[in-house]
Amino acid sequence: MLKEIAENKTVEISQNPPLQFTGNWFIDAGILGFVNLMEEVYGWDLDKLQEMIIKEPEKVYYGYFPFAYLYKWLSDRNQEANPKLIEKLEEELGKKAFQNNKELFDFVWFNFICNLFKDLWIKSKSKLIYKNEAYDKKNKTKQTIDYKNTQTYIQKIGERENLINEIQDKHQEEIKKILKKRELKKFEHDDLEKLINYNDESISNELKRSIELLKEKHLGIINFLKEEWENNVINQQNFTEKESLFYRIPIDSGFYKNFLFFNNFAGNLEQKDSFYDVIYFNFDKEKILKKIDKTVNKFLPSDEEFSNINYTELSTEPLKKQIGYLFVYLLCFTYGFEKYGNMGYVSFYSNDLEFSYIINKRLKLYKKKIERSKDPNLIFKVTWQQIIDSLVEYKSSWSLENMYTISYQRLDNQTQENVEYIGIPKFQASILLDDAIRENLNDSIQFRSKKFKGNKYCWLLEEFIKGKPLYPIILSHINLALNEEIIPNLPTCLYSLISEANISEFKAEKEKQNGNLFSENYFDNYKSLVREIKEDIRFTSFNASLINQISKDADTKKRIARELFDALKARDKNMFLNILLKNMNEDKKLCSNKNLNDWIFEKIIKNDISFEMYSLILTMNLLRGEKR
Amino acid sequence: MSENVYYWQKAMGDKPLPLDLLKLKNAVGDVFKHESDNYKQKLVYNLLERVRNNDQKEFFYILLKAMNKPKENFKELWAELQKSYYVMPEEVFINFAYSVIIDIMATYSGGEKNE
Repeated sequence: MLKEIAENKTVEISQNPPLQFTGNWFIDAGILGFVNLMEEVYGWDLDKLQEMIIKEPEKVYYGYFPFAYLYKWLSDRNQEANPKLIEKLEEELGKKAFQNNKELFDFVWFNFICNLFKDLWIKSKSKLIYKNEAYDKKNKTKQTIDYKNTQTYIQKIGERENLINEIQDKHQEEIKKILKKRELKKFEHDDLEKLINYNDESISNELKRSIELLKEKHLGIINFLKEEWENNVINQQNFTEKESLFYRIPIDSGFYKNFLFFNNFAGNLEQKDSFYDVIYFNFDKEKILKKIDKTVNKFLPSDEEFSNINYTELSTEPLKKQIGYLFVYLLCFTYGFEKYGNMGYVSFYSNDLEFSYIINKRLKLYKKKIERSKDPNLIFKVTWQQIIDSLVEYKSSWSLENMYTISYQRLDNQTQENVEYIGIPKFQASILLDDAIRENLNDSIQFRSKKFKGNKYCWLLEEFIKGKPLYPIILSHINLALNEEIIPNLPTCLYSLISEANISEFKAEKEKQNGNLFSENYFDNYKSLVREIKEDIRFTSFNASLINQISKDADTKKRIARELFDALKARDKNMFLNILLKNMNEDKKLCSNKNLNDWIFEKIIKNDISFEMYSLILTMNLLRGEKR
Repeated sequence: MSENVYYWQKAMGDKPLPLDLLKLKNAVGDVFKHESDNYKQKLVYNLLERVRNNDQKEFFYILLKAMNKPKENFKELWAELQKSYYVMPEEVFINFAYSVIIDIMATYSGGEKNE
């Protein structure tokens, strides 16, 4: 019976999982980020997370999520985050029952999130070195410092300040040495840390004693602050709204600056309520939740800049019913991406959450392995390799999806750098499903372009997926080979050129049918294309290689190749054929070779669409078997 | 290209004109079969030179001269030429001319290599 229930549950999850992609890549990237976040902090995979959401959605969104979000925020900034809190949270949330979401959220906020930020808060408060900086111009205590024990706090700071001044006056030269400074300017918090952590024996005993004293004072402040935080925030939650700013959790974000809990003027309680409202999607209270635009995420347009576009002021209200936790996902947007060396931040996206999740996970696993390697192309190669491998593995399901990779170099509230949204068209994907074609295209070749100095490697598979022409790259590659700079990669060139030739013929054929994109046989033709490419490769690789018999002398062949190449570069079909036939005409046996003759007629003379690609194949065959 | 008929549009006309390269090819192959290799080789050089300069007048002059042999069976090629002999745009002419040339080349009996 129990087993049956368990089985039914798995079926239920697989048929109707609570977490699903919406079809909007922007929200979906956030959902993926949410999954990644929960996996990173709690170690739950997608199935486990789905299960948890079915069982106790409130606990996931109001309990586990806010803690995980800020935990990651903290550890991303190289601050110490106490992992024991995770275990404790799981334990407490597991056994405890709450009356409502608010109670649950408050419990997590004070007991766990505030606990998590204890050290960072103490650090931020102990940074105050000068007593007079606690007051504003009107000589009133600054709001961020104003709370019931302000006087004690300021007094302690003042005592430490006096000590610092005393030491600085007495031991100027020695302190310059310790701080590695030519002159002593304003003493900062960093200097204080350097000084109290200095344990070289070479300093004078007097200074040593003074430093000990300073250390004691400093520790006194830290302990004082620690007690304040523990007593008033974590245990008692005993502070007024006015004091709330003093207890503000010191977080901010370049990306999500407009969310109130990242705002510098929001006190602890406001931070708490604002975070709760974001999860609860309470747009009555939080202005930012009312519409989705640039204030939420820099990827989105601003309705002020694009006031004439009627969808820029996209109201969120209708979305609340469909996607109850919309802003949870939007907050996780950046976690949907992973940084890959020189490629920037990349996310793979398809219509299906599970599929996208699996591929992104695989990429991440591989990333660790390859980061040790020095070849910058390797990261790139592996990325596509993983996508393609998964495509092949999920042959049945993927073919229905549309696939994209989204990448960017930098993204903050000011700039968006190199944002790219690359679709992998079905058309290209279906061709790549063939092992032979894929493996031959999955290689990089050297080429040169006017845009940069020297040679560069180009990943043909990537260009192919992007739908960019491969011919110019291969043309440049063969040019390098003619100049004897490199050994040409002939099989890869052959496969690329023939694939491209067949695709362009296929497209031209489509256009001829009155541009009727969705004609009846559209999808069938698609499949036959792979077969045609492979047949063409067999046919062409044999026939084009016959040109090698034109001469036994490598230099003569090279001269012909050079002449043919120049004609191709000038895109002069007439010149190309003229040179070719004139040279062939010297060898009657070769001329009367029916295979070669028919091939030239079929693929070059009669062909007005892709003759350049076949001409290049013929030219590069003359380089075959050259002595190095 | 699956179809063998190649269309081109005359500057003044309104109908696309068919240019059946495969038919032309076969016709050329039939008539030059019996000529000597050296003769054909010279002819090919000559024709190539004319195409290179897009000299249609001279090209047809040489070609027609070579075909001016009433006793032999040139009828099919004559008929083909009659259909497609116009002043063609360059890209059409190139396809036409090289089809003729490569077919003449295909009829070499494959003698010794001509050094």
